[in-house]
Amino acid sequence: MISVVVEYTSILDFIDFNGQYVMDNAYYPFEDVYNLPFAISYGLWKIIGGALAWLINLIFPENPVSDWLMSEPVCVLLSLIIFMLIVFIVVFVCTLISLWMERKCLGRMMDRRGTMVGMKGFLQCVADGLKTFMKENTIPKKVDNMTYMWTVSLVIGVSVLLACMIPLSQRWFVVNYDSGLLIIMAFFALAPFFILVSGWSQNNKYAMIGGMRAAELMISYEVPMLIMIATTALLAGSFNIGDIVDAQYETVWYFIPQIIGFITFFFCATAESERVPFDIAEAEAELVEGWQTEYAGMKWGLIMLADYFRGYVACAMVTIMYLGGWALPIIGNGPIPEIVFLLKTWFVFFLMILVRAALGRVRPDQIVNIGWKVFMPLSVINLAVVLLLKVGGFFRWL
Amino acid sequence: MAMKYLEKYPRSTARGLWVIKPQWHVLKLFAKTVFHRPVTVLYPYEKEWVPDNYRGRPGLDFDKCVGCGMCARMCPTACIKIVDSEAADGKTVKRPQVNLGRCAMCGYCAEYCPVDAMTVTPEYELAEFTRFDLLYGPRRLAYDKTTEGMKVKLEVTLQSDIDNGNAERRVSVFSLDRPELTDAKCIGCKKCAKVCPVDAIQMVEKGTNEKTGKPILRPVIDEVKCISCSNCIDDCPKDALVMKEVL
Repeated sequence: MISVVVEYTSILDFIDFNGQYVMDNAYYPFEDVYNLPFAISYGLWKIIGGALAWLINLIFPENPVSDWLMSEPVCVLLSLIIFMLIVFIVVFVCTLISLWMERKCLGRMMDRRGTMVGMKGFLQCVADGLKTFMKENTIPKKVDNMTYMWTVSLVIGVSVLLACMIPLSQRWFVVNYDSGLLIIMAFFALAPFFILVSGWSQNNKYAMIGGMRAAELMISYEVPMLIMIATTALLAGSFNIGDIVDAQYETVWYFIPQIIGFITFFFCATAESERVPFDIAEAEAELVEGWQTEYAGMKWGLIMLADYFRGYVACAMVTIMYLGGWALPIIGNGPIPEIVFLLKTWFVFFLMILVRAALGRVRPDQIVNIGWKVFMPLSVINLAVVLLLKVGGFFRWL
Repeated sequence: MAMKYLEKYPRSTARGLWVIKPQWHVLKLFAKTVFHRPVTVLYPYEKEWVPDNYRGRPGLDFDKCVGCGMCARMCPTACIKIVDSEAADGKTVKRPQVNLGRCAMCGYCAEYCPVDAMTVTPEYELAEFTRFDLLYGPRRLAYDKTTEGMKVKLEVTLQSDIDNGNAERRVSVFSLDRPELTDAKCIGCKKCAKVCPVDAIQMVEKGTNEKTGKPILRPVIDEVKCISCSNCIDDCPKDALVMKEVL
């Protein structure tokens, strides 16, 4: 009888949890800023990869794969994958919560109950998702297949990317841009272009009109939004989201000096994310489903999800620019700034739901009228007010 | 040029603030429905309140019923059939059977029932898998939570009542009509006495037949016992009995 004596290696030799701080890793990708989701994913990889390496080591003792799995660059690479998942899942769940909130609040505002499927109606989102994913992937015969598929993928992809790029706090971000607001705005303005192309590619009159209306909406509302973003950047002295939040913490929340801008930007953001009072691109009443008419099943479900991603991004932008981001007036960052940020975002979303429940839809010509004749002058007035405040020395020059 | 552009604005820009009003109303409604329940009733789990005299399926008090057939006669959809059924003491009695597949839930059977044995019930969930299951026999019609309000009364006011200066509602219609005998038509066959469900008819001797020497029998109707079910009138072979309004 052959007895093989293998030296038992403790699993704790591989799961080196206390040994190394995440920022001590030589390949740490965020330079000198602590990043919470990366730290979580690094810890997770330490556990998962450590257990994996220990198992491989049990079966093949003294092999190089175990050491390779726990080496510094591999750790960073694989925890970056987990990091992406974590960031996406958090944003995804936040969006689902805002979707659930819309259903419930809209129900209460109409004196009904809203969704009732499990967990106070939250599981309705899951049920809807499963339902759309189970459906057959039908593509109409006469569409231009390449643009048809590519544009919808890009609309969804850009929306998801955009939602993931919104930083939840000083420590919860993906990339810390110096031009963060501008880049978010640029991605935000990208989707209507894809919508126009997609409306053309579907070879359907409703989709075509919907796509053209989306383009019209984009042209009308992009300009005042950009002016107001520039105003906020002027007041804060930076396009960096973290700097804007810091500047608001040091002075006041910017919706006080820029009350005109706050209201105008709120309505522009509602229009830009194509929510109900300004939903002329979708227009369930007159165009069948607007530019989404020929999309069925999973594609349609993802488009709806992307709509809510854009709504979430619009609310997050309002929060960052006017409501002080993740900082509270006296407390500052607090223990969990992410929750503060999300609560503010959901509050803005609640205002959007209120507007949706209270006001009737706007005609396409009225929408262009409001955009150019009301919001555009208001944003310029807002800029003038901010310039006066700045010149008057109420806010520090950076 | 610039003035022409400006003229397209409304006179008073403050009038654009009308948008605040509907939002305020919606916010108020939201606050109200968050703390109170919305109007929606979650039907299978919670039911709406129904009054006592809600016209659901008919119910029957088996022991109270006299089997007069008034309900079957009054039913507008003819869903009630009088069937033979066994009473507690083993006798065969006549009791109504309701075909709920046909029942219109009008509650006339309960209104017209002279002894308040037929009632309305608040039961309205009556789905069954077969049509046969919808036949409710006399025993199955029983409803144990019968209240006074379920014995709906037929309240009427007649023109003759108003003419006589008595505009009060009559609670029961059964004090209005009584069968009346046309003496010349009667042959004394005793059928009316047999079919009377409350034994209100007594056959009384009114002299002797001169040709045959047999006694001449004539029905005498007890006004107190009579429930105006008109079974005697239906069964009379010579049409000697007719319903007459008594006032």
